[in-house]
Amino acid sequence: MALTIKSVNMMMPVVQRFGPACCFSTSQTLQEIRLLARMRIVDNSAIGKAAAEIGKPPRVIHVYNDKRVGFLGDKVLVTVKGEMKRAYIVGLRQKQKPNVPRMDTNNIVLVDDNGNPLGNRITVPIPSALRRKGGDITKILSLATKFV
Amino acid sequence: MSLRLLVCIPSRFGCLSCQHDSTCSCDAAKKTHHVINYQRTQTEILQALRPKSNFLLSNVVDKHRLSPLQQGTEAVAVETETTAPRDYRFVMPEFLPNADYRYRDRVLEKLERQDMLRRRAVIDIPEFYVGSIMAVCVSDPHAPGKRNRFVGICIDRSGQGLRAHFVLRNVVDGLGVEVMYKMYNPTVLSVEVLKLEKRLDDQLYYLRNCPLEYSTFDFNMDPVILPRGSQVPVNPIKVKLNPKPWEYRWERFNLKGIEPISLTPKMIKGIEKSAEPWRQNDLMMMYRSQVHEEEETEIMAEVYKEKHRIDSQKKTSRAAQRKNK
Amino acid sequence: MAAKSLYSCMRSAQTTLFVSGSCTLRSLLPSSVTCVQQVRHRRYPAFIVRPSIRKPWHVRKWTTKSDGDLIASNEAFVKDVLIDKYTGVGKVESPLKDGPWERNPFVHGTRRTGVLALKLGTTEQYTKEGNVFTVTLLQVLDNHVINYVPPEVYATYPSHRPHQGEKFGLQIVGALSCDPRMFSKAYNNLFMKAGVPPKRWLTRFLITPNAAVQPGTPLCVNHFRVGDHVDVQSRTRDWGFQGVIKRWGMKGMPASHGVTKSHRKMGSTGGGGDKGGIWRGKHMPGIMGNRLSVQHNLKIWRINTKYNILYVTGPAIAGLPHTFVRVSDTLIPTRRIKEEDAGNLPMPTWYPEDETEPIPEELFDEQLFRFTDPSVEITS
Repeated sequence: MALTIKSVNMMMPVVQRFGPACCFSTSQTLQEIRLLARMRIVDNSAIGKAAAEIGKPPRVIHVYNDKRVGFLGDKVLVTVKGEMKRAYIVGLRQKQKPNVPRMDTNNIVLVDDNGNPLGNRITVPIPSALRRKGGDITKILSLATKFV
Repeated sequence: MSLRLLVCIPSRFGCLSCQHDSTCSCDAAKKTHHVINYQRTQTEILQALRPKSNFLLSNVVDKHRLSPLQQGTEAVAVETETTAPRDYRFVMPEFLPNADYRYRDRVLEKLERQDMLRRRAVIDIPEFYVGSIMAVCVSDPHAPGKRNRFVGICIDRSGQGLRAHFVLRNVVDGLGVEVMYKMYNPTVLSVEVLKLEKRLDDQLYYLRNCPLEYSTFDFNMDPVILPRGSQVPVNPIKVKLNPKPWEYRWERFNLKGIEPISLTPKMIKGIEKSAEPWRQNDLMMMYRSQVHEEEETEIMAEVYKEKHRIDSQKKTSRAAQRKNK
Repeated sequence: MAAKSLYSCMRSAQTTLFVSGSCTLRSLLPSSVTCVQQVRHRRYPAFIVRPSIRKPWHVRKWTTKSDGDLIASNEAFVKDVLIDKYTGVGKVESPLKDGPWERNPFVHGTRRTGVLALKLGTTEQYTKEGNVFTVTLLQVLDNHVINYVPPEVYATYPSHRPHQGEKFGLQIVGALSCDPRMFSKAYNNLFMKAGVPPKRWLTRFLITPNAAVQPGTPLCVNHFRVGDHVDVQSRTRDWGFQGVIKRWGMKGMPASHGVTKSHRKMGSTGGGGDKGGIWRGKHMPGIMGNRLSVQHNLKIWRINTKYNILYVTGPAIAGLPHTFVRVSDTLIPTRRIKEEDAGNLPMPTWYPEDETEPIPEELFDEQLFRFTDPSVEITS
């Protein structure tokens, strides 16, 4: 039970945990895709490039699920240059499950009303966990160049 | 007045007070100890309302486990023959239990260690630190070859017992990617260390706010082999932070692995506000924030012995395979 | 006062019953005790008020007397005597000497006894598909059957509830043997018949008479099978006297904008008029926690017979580690043990004589990943 000098010296570098010491807004730290979240278009569609040039990122105005919070592979409605476009989420900044990658940006791929992608190439890696999902997202996965 | 009442009115507290005063008569107290004392003092009421521990302390439980009256359940054997090398806990930090004494239990820790060592006998989890460059292979049914390989720098390592995990970071096609792996997840097929080294900090989450070249690593990188018996090198690199906005206020974390930041008056004010200089002198907090040294040597001796047994088994099996070829 | 009169009434009823044996307790009780008081058209939670009086029929447990003046050698001698008394061969009169009770097969509707376990903490396990889930570890330490009360006797007890009828008897189980000098004489006398040292913790299980276990029998983790489901009862953590924000999750009031002295208060307590006043069950500050919480239908994933450990589903078992929990077969109809599945079920409990081969140290569920197995290769 004795607190020896050696043990004190060993303890001295107290492990510092990163993270905000005090925060009241949970949506900020959780990085959730909610209403008016700013995204990044990662395909080579013309409208996406034009939006990137003028420096106005697309914003989420609706999430097509019950929870109203977008997760990996969810469909969202975004405004791009004053137009409403549908898109799929293909990468998140949010904390992910084990073995699922967490990206530095919130990535989306634009699709038209029939679920066909507007671009013909995706420039960033796509999470491999998305390949488990069926439906329209398989059309997006066929454009992907790399999976992580 | 209240003291006199205490003695006269039959109650639990009356009995206690009589222990010291043999002259007073408390026959009534002996008979009816369930009668409520309606004239309790403020102190007694506060005593009654305080949280009571409805659990046993771990030392009491250990006493019961070792008691000769107890039969049918084995007590945990303590490893006394071997001793692990000093600072072995930095090699395998996940074997040390949660430091909070309320959540400690010898048997639970023992069983967790057993499972972890069993898993380590199946796959090889090498020695690694925060800052090492690693490659992890996981099972992925949709990938070609049914497996998915990721290479990156270890930016965090934490969790105790079977919950231990680490985080790898890399840049793929100009996009920063981080993956968290559980160390004892059965879907993790292999873990290899491509370059064994340490960094100056315990966590490298600040690489998110650095230029991408600091966290870019080649997927086809050749493993760097250290000479036998050499110490683990410390990489003294100081990275440069991007201009704000940042993920966190990095200036408050006393980081050693970044170039000095030009502090604004607002930043200095924030640092002063968030600094907790008294923590350096809080010996009790330090004592409680770590597992006790004696217990640590016990645990690490067991792990060290078991690890050696596993390694020698693997060596003999490998030699047998070579002979068969 | 009501409680006191009820107590005296019950005591007299018991004494008369032993003499006559023909009348029931409820016929002797005054009508005001048996009738239920009418309440308003709302169902109130029953757990609001903490019972301030202990059960009058419980004996006092702890004693304040101590042999403080014993010298070390005498203390050691007394301990040796105690150990010899309870673990030496044939020192204490054990009811097991008269031979075992009759053992019945498991039939539909049988309720077996449960065990008392210690909650050790939580950890993670994996399924064979590689999915992670949380388990809680429960240790069945030093359990003995203390007493069995047949249904007809139990029906006369003050703790008997009328709706139970005469269907169930009581199995009294204790855990963690202690030094008898810690307890009062009355408490120690409870363990005389069973021939076991006094226990730190006592509990009772309602059982059907065909599953009665002889007093003095040790219970261990083999009482349960891997893959079965259990109900686990334990007490929540005691928080003491707490305000409404912590106790009921109320919002409180703002930190500024003219609010004074009521940042953490509850605000209004109710309306006026016809239904005015504070209704019973209003959420208010008070003693929080230390309440019984039940988790139903938890699966047993794994059993360690060396240390007597059960691995059950989930992190939700109440209380800090080293809380006592009552573990018994589940009463959920879909998960209850069926007569056709009860082939190797230990009935009424597990006896070491039943086993011809030594039992393995660890028993696993079929779907559970064993850490000695090779890595999981997901194929689909």
